Amino acid sequence: MPEAGELAERRGSGRLVVSALAHNKMAIAGLCLVALMVLFCFVGPLLYPTNQVTVRLDLSELPPSGAHPLGTDASGYDVLGRLMEGGRSSLELGFAVAVATTVIGTLYGAFAGFIGGVVDALMMRVIDTFLAIPGLVLLLILVSMFTPNLLMIIVLLSLLSWLGVARLVRGEVLSLRTREFVQAARMMGGSRRRIVLRHLVPNAIGVVLVSGTFTIADAILAMSTLSFLGLGIPPPHADWGTMLSDGLNYLFDGYWWLVYPPAVILIVTVVAFNLIGDAIHDSLDARLQRP
Amino acid sequence: MRKIRQLTLTTAMVALTMAVAAGCSGGGGSGSGAIGNGGAGSKKPVKAGGTVTIAEVGATPNFVFPLEPVTNTDGWNVNLTQPLWPALVYAGDGSQSVVNPDESLFSNITWANGDKQLTIDLKHWNWSDGQPITSRDFTFVYNLIKANASNWSNYVQGLFPDDVAGVSTPDANTVVINLTRSYNPTFYEDDVLSNIPLLPQHAWDKSSDAGPVGNLDETSAGAKAVYAYLQKEGGDMATFATNPLWQVVDGPWKLSEFRTDGYYSYVPNKQYSGPDKPVLAKVVDTPFTTDTAELNALRAGDTLDIGQLPLNDVKQASALEQNGYSVANIPVPGVAMIQPNFYNAQVGPEIQQLYVRQALEYLINRQQIVSKVYSGYADPGNGPVPLTATGPWASPLEKSGGPYPYSPSKATALLQAHGWKVVPNGTTTCQSPGTGANQCGAGITAGEGLTFQLAYSSGQASMDEQNAAIKSSEAQAGITINLHSEPFNSLIATVGACSASSHPAATCGWQLADFGYDPYPLYPAGDGFFNSTGSNNQGGYADPKMDQLINATEYGSGTSAFFAYEDYAAQQLPWLWLPNQNGLLVYRSNLQGVTPLNPFSGGLNPEMWGFTS
Amino acid sequence: MTAYLVRRIGQAITVVIGVMVLTFILVHLEPGSAARATLGTRATASRIAIFDNVNGLNQPLVEQFWTYVKQVCQGNFGTSYSLQQPVSTLIAQRLPKDAVLLGLSTVLALAIAVPLGIYQAVRRNGVGDNIATVAAFVLYSMPDFFFALLLIAVFSVQLHLLPPLAPRATTVAGILADPRALVLPVVTLTLVSVSGYSRYMRSSAIDALAQEYLRVVRAKGLPERLVLMRHVLRNSILPIVTIVGLSAPSIVAGAVIAEEVFNYPGMGLLFFQAATSHDYPILLGSTLVVGIATVVGNLAADTAYSLLDPRIRYVST
Repeated sequence: MPEAGELAERRGSGRLVVSALAHNKMAIAGLCLVALMVLFCFVGPLLYPTNQVTVRLDLSELPPSGAHPLGTDASGYDVLGRLMEGGRSSLELGFAVAVATTVIGTLYGAFAGFIGGVVDALMMRVIDTFLAIPGLVLLLILVSMFTPNLLMIIVLLSLLSWLGVARLVRGEVLSLRTREFVQAARMMGGSRRRIVLRHLVPNAIGVVLVSGTFTIADAILAMSTLSFLGLGIPPPHADWGTMLSDGLNYLFDGYWWLVYPPAVILIVTVVAFNLIGDAIHDSLDARLQRP
Repeated sequence: MRKIRQLTLTTAMVALTMAVAAGCSGGGGSGSGAIGNGGAGSKKPVKAGGTVTIAEVGATPNFVFPLEPVTNTDGWNVNLTQPLWPALVYAGDGSQSVVNPDESLFSNITWANGDKQLTIDLKHWNWSDGQPITSRDFTFVYNLIKANASNWSNYVQGLFPDDVAGVSTPDANTVVINLTRSYNPTFYEDDVLSNIPLLPQHAWDKSSDAGPVGNLDETSAGAKAVYAYLQKEGGDMATFATNPLWQVVDGPWKLSEFRTDGYYSYVPNKQYSGPDKPVLAKVVDTPFTTDTAELNALRAGDTLDIGQLPLNDVKQASALEQNGYSVANIPVPGVAMIQPNFYNAQVGPEIQQLYVRQALEYLINRQQIVSKVYSGYADPGNGPVPLTATGPWASPLEKSGGPYPYSPSKATALLQAHGWKVVPNGTTTCQSPGTGANQCGAGITAGEGLTFQLAYSSGQASMDEQNAAIKSSEAQAGITINLHSEPFNSLIATVGACSASSHPAATCGWQLADFGYDPYPLYPAGDGFFNSTGSNNQGGYADPKMDQLINATEYGSGTSAFFAYEDYAAQQLPWLWLPNQNGLLVYRSNLQGVTPLNPFSGGLNPEMWGFTS
Repeated sequence: MTAYLVRRIGQAITVVIGVMVLTFILVHLEPGSAARATLGTRATASRIAIFDNVNGLNQPLVEQFWTYVKQVCQGNFGTSYSLQQPVSTLIAQRLPKDAVLLGLSTVLALAIAVPLGIYQAVRRNGVGDNIATVAAFVLYSMPDFFFALLLIAVFSVQLHLLPPLAPRATTVAGILADPRALVLPVVTLTLVSVSGYSRYMRSSAIDALAQEYLRVVRAKGLPERLVLMRHVLRNSILPIVTIVGLSAPSIVAGAVIAEEVFNYPGMGLLFFQAATSHDYPILLGSTLVVGIATVVGNLAADTAYSLLDPRIRYVST
């Protein structure tokens, strides 16, 4: 399935991406926000250590105070500390899914696109089949098959999201394969390996980067949907999505610290990743227009 | 052995509905919170007419014939059918855990022959088509059930109709049943006859739409044909409200609309013979998939007259009261528990040790869970019987806090006394394996830890909070609880019944399971739960003394026999006791008669309601 | 072209068969038994046996699959275990509800996204573009359940302007007869999907704006408004049409979150409840319907695209 941007000709490689990002204000904002979140979640707990394991019902639902800047939740966990803890697993989830998805999808797509023929057709039918089953149904069946823990959710979300990447990469490889410079390399007797490594991979990397960035954002969102549907990870695990869907019970109770902090931090993070992905996408698009 | 739990499945689901969809009414209420049980209040004049809309969360009936096949355990069908065809013995009267004299179809039951024979005098009531209700209607039901017992969802082997030696009808309003053994009349009336409706023989005793009504049920083959016909019609959701069969009723209501998505409505049965004749013109049951949507509708305040308030949202009570609603706190007749699996390959040997179960129970801070997780609106769960919801059956031991009030020090001492090295917030290990009095016990090896997986149903924040709290408090004695949550149906799909004789790894991989709670019928017998062959005894607990004590509560009478069973169960911990949350019922303040609500009735008794003028 | 179509249809059939096999395997891989999930914790061995026998679950899997295929070929999707109704009846009840809800919100989303995308492309990297970008991403990044509940909190609970529940009616006419109740669910679904479409629109409009011939057109003195209307819009809308075509199957799959929050039981909730209660007939039947819709949607979109865009050649795909 060809997509808007990829049809047109594309020259150069992902090298331009970095310089393009540096010139895009939105992308810089996104990068800064992501860096901030990473600091908050991974360095924060060192500066602000809290107990996120032991339930303290005697401290439940306290409003913000000096001891608990963002109050406590129904189990008596410090909300600020829990945002760090939850953010860590949300970010880990996002990055892990993005990496797994990208690796599997790229290899699968590149292989199918490069080999072509019957193998390619077969490989694509497998993808079509998975894509023809509603993602949520697949996810539900898979989630109920396995004990939900972070690793399992990472594996399941990756299983579902590599399909799109594989298609994109294959499309990219197909269109590149027919391009003059690859054909030239072939005619000059370049080995397949060399063609793939020197020409195809660098050229496809932009597409992969874009989809990888969006995958991080989507995985974090998908986790919150799972929690809302009651398919999340049981306590004492925390992630932003679970905190938000639990906190929504208090939307009308005036316990704003259980609703809005996880909502804001989740949305800001997802927006940040989208801005980055979008900027990369834009920079690839932009190159198309320079004749 | 008989398995009352199967029989009480219907009752079970009634109460479940109540808790899930509407809440229940009860006595004093153990809640420390501000919401009372509503109470009857002072009666104001009501005006005739009006429509009441009730929210039914996740409760969609799909079968209208009151005798369901075994493959249909929808559970909500009784909500639909009870207002149409009330049970012979109608359980619950307002908040009182007693038989309802007004709604029941009998006027008197006398026991004779050493409690082996009972004589039922039927009231001189009429069906909605004007025909009298007679003893023939009882024999019709009996014949249908007898010929089709194996395909009747309430059937329990050994119990009705297996235990019936003969039925005779000396006159049109008298039924004499001879039983094969003596029973405790309270048990038999409250838990057995309360599941049997009367059905209109004069209208239903046929095997096709056009077929003539006769006495087909008197032969086994005929009864099978009639049953098959009624089953087929009873499952055709499109015609529930239009099929003439289902318009012949003896309850206060008639079905006027039924949509396949679960929306249905009643109008009064003008011929209803009972004293509580409907005042309202219409009652609508409207289905909700989740309580989120239902609660939003209550908050917006213009579509619903009756709904439930999830305990997580108890703080919304005052906002709802400003919207013109009242909120009642209703104890639920049931027992909440963690079922331990005595035959799990990994932890079975540990669970079989009473001291391990005792330590686990000592470490559950039930009082704190009641006050913090359930805002005070829960029964403390001191033992198998709730303190108020089932009337007089809570023993002095339970009322005084039960045998195992929260005590980490006692738990630690128990483990140490049996050869464990207790490491608070670490891993407690068995130091002296063996079967001696001060050793860990059979099958437990040196160095083994106490690690259990607790599976519970997901989607309810209070369950997460409760079980996270249990995980934390168990850690104080170095016991590790790993939590595993799944949607209810997924959970029960993987929890098989395990016993000494059969515990295949495929269905006995579970270790501790928290299903929520199990509801009680009017007489809160332990049969089915704790007897060795009980159908809801998933974990395989077996104790001959327990079996004997349970039998004593059903064959013989008296509170002392009941308390003996109850206290023994409380102490032996066939299940780990947990707090059982109350229902919070939300109703329009100008709707009179909703409270005190009958927690044993599926239909909420809207015949008692009316808008104040 | 004919050969291409024949090949594509062949592929489509392969995929549908793949869907049937795959869902059948998946459904039966799920641990636990359908009988237990349906009959509850108290199910005795004999009841489980009756259930399995009635539903053919005691047959070997291959046999069950074959029975299922034969049934499907006769147009019979079986009967739901828990809802006790034919799956085809259930789908016939649920599908139109989603078609109304998702159809309306898709149309609205496009009505916003197309002009917005063109505006953003014209004002590329200007303040307006950046604000629209951030706004679109914020909407996209809000979990839909959160967004829906916020709308309800404001418009239903605080202001009492709109009902918090979607229309109760079960027919399309009945649903449309209650437009006030449709507002919040439609707005929710529209706003969360605007961003996807507007991003596409923006990038394809940027492509269109970069076309050489526009200089010629402009040089001829055509007003800028007409340039945008006649040329940019027409050239940039093609990919959007394709995207809409490709997303058509999602209408069949439903929107579980919106259905849950607004109490509007459609296909999404049907799937969700079936998946959590081992209701095999519903899972198999509805997945097959969605699978077919997806395949048909893809086929239509690809064919339309290849007809309209000469750059696509019918190479092995």
